[in-house]
Amino acid sequence: MTLFDEIRRVVEEGGRAVVFTVIAGPETGAKLLVREDGSIAGSGPAELAQLAPDALRRGRSHVLEHEGRTIFADVLGPPPRLLVIGAVDTAEALCQAAKLLGWTTIVADARAAFATRERLPSADEILVAWPDEALERVQPDAGTAIVVLTHDDKFDLPALTGALASDAFYIGALGSRRNQERRRERLLEEGVSPADLDRIAGPCGLDIGAESPAETALSILAEILAVRAGRAGGPLKEARSRIHPEPEEAASGKK
Amino acid sequence: MKELLPEIDRWRAKGERVALATVVATRRSAPRPVGSKLAVSESGELAGSVSGGCVESDVVLAAQEVLAGGPPRLLTYGITDDMALGVGLPCGGEIDVFVEPLE
Repeated sequence: MTLFDEIRRVVEEGGRAVVFTVIAGPETGAKLLVREDGSIAGSGPAELAQLAPDALRRGRSHVLEHEGRTIFADVLGPPPRLLVIGAVDTAEALCQAAKLLGWTTIVADARAAFATRERLPSADEILVAWPDEALERVQPDAGTAIVVLTHDDKFDLPALTGALASDAFYIGALGSRRNQERRRERLLEEGVSPADLDRIAGPCGLDIGAESPAETALSILAEILAVRAGRAGGPLKEARSRIHPEPEEAASGKK
Repeated sequence: MKELLPEIDRWRAKGERVALATVVATRRSAPRPVGSKLAVSESGELAGSVSGGCVESDVVLAAQEVLAGGPPRLLTYGITDDMALGVGLPCGGEIDVFVEPLE
């Protein structure tokens, strides 16, 4: 198996690894693949493996100097995941739009008649499951965004309390302002702290006048990207910060 | 990387060799983030990008030299004096691109 085949396997499996490449100095072009479990492949300087944990923590590709060589540390990791609770029309639109970004998409709904391949051709995974079971299976991490589309308390409440117990970098909930207010009261009654409630984007999405499911999906995904980059989400024309995220700002999906 | 794999597979299935160009560093404004990749086939087909189309034509030349047996190359692009003649980044930033054979 060539080194490229080893690297492609990591990429296809959504694994974490660092590919070190000597880009200047002795042995320019030599590469070393270091997987998250510490196993290595390739002919690059083997002592680079000790730098892998730090590179994985940084979560972002970077250049470093090592014993007279300039090294590019290319950090490979799984794409962000989007978990959608509620297999409604907007779920399919969200999956379509997220696929465009190269993200992995999962849709969960307890209603078997809703959570079907025919209704959700763009979802990578469909779970016929109640929210708590879906969250248990998906295990949302800091690279996961969760959008709750059910706007029905019996699904919304367990979905949101479960989502708040995870490290998801974005938690959004569809619903009218009146619904949001009622849901807020119910969540407070269930013991959710006001600080945790502030993690919920509800109604989710940026204010772009979205109406159709596709427009709503774009509005929600745009907000997810803004949250991920720590941006407000307004017009660039009026923004004071740099157009593209600062290198460390966009690290691994979380500011 | 993942989005380039289908094209790379297609080229390799035809028996073509492939070069890979990677953005390894950016300074100030840059069109593509560090880690962005452009794959170049022996016959000159492209997949992916290292800029917004500003420097790709020059990177392809370097890729073909590498595929012809030349050493891997570290290239720097920015606004330079020779911009009138060649390629550069009109956005005012600077990028380093490493070009190597994919093997």
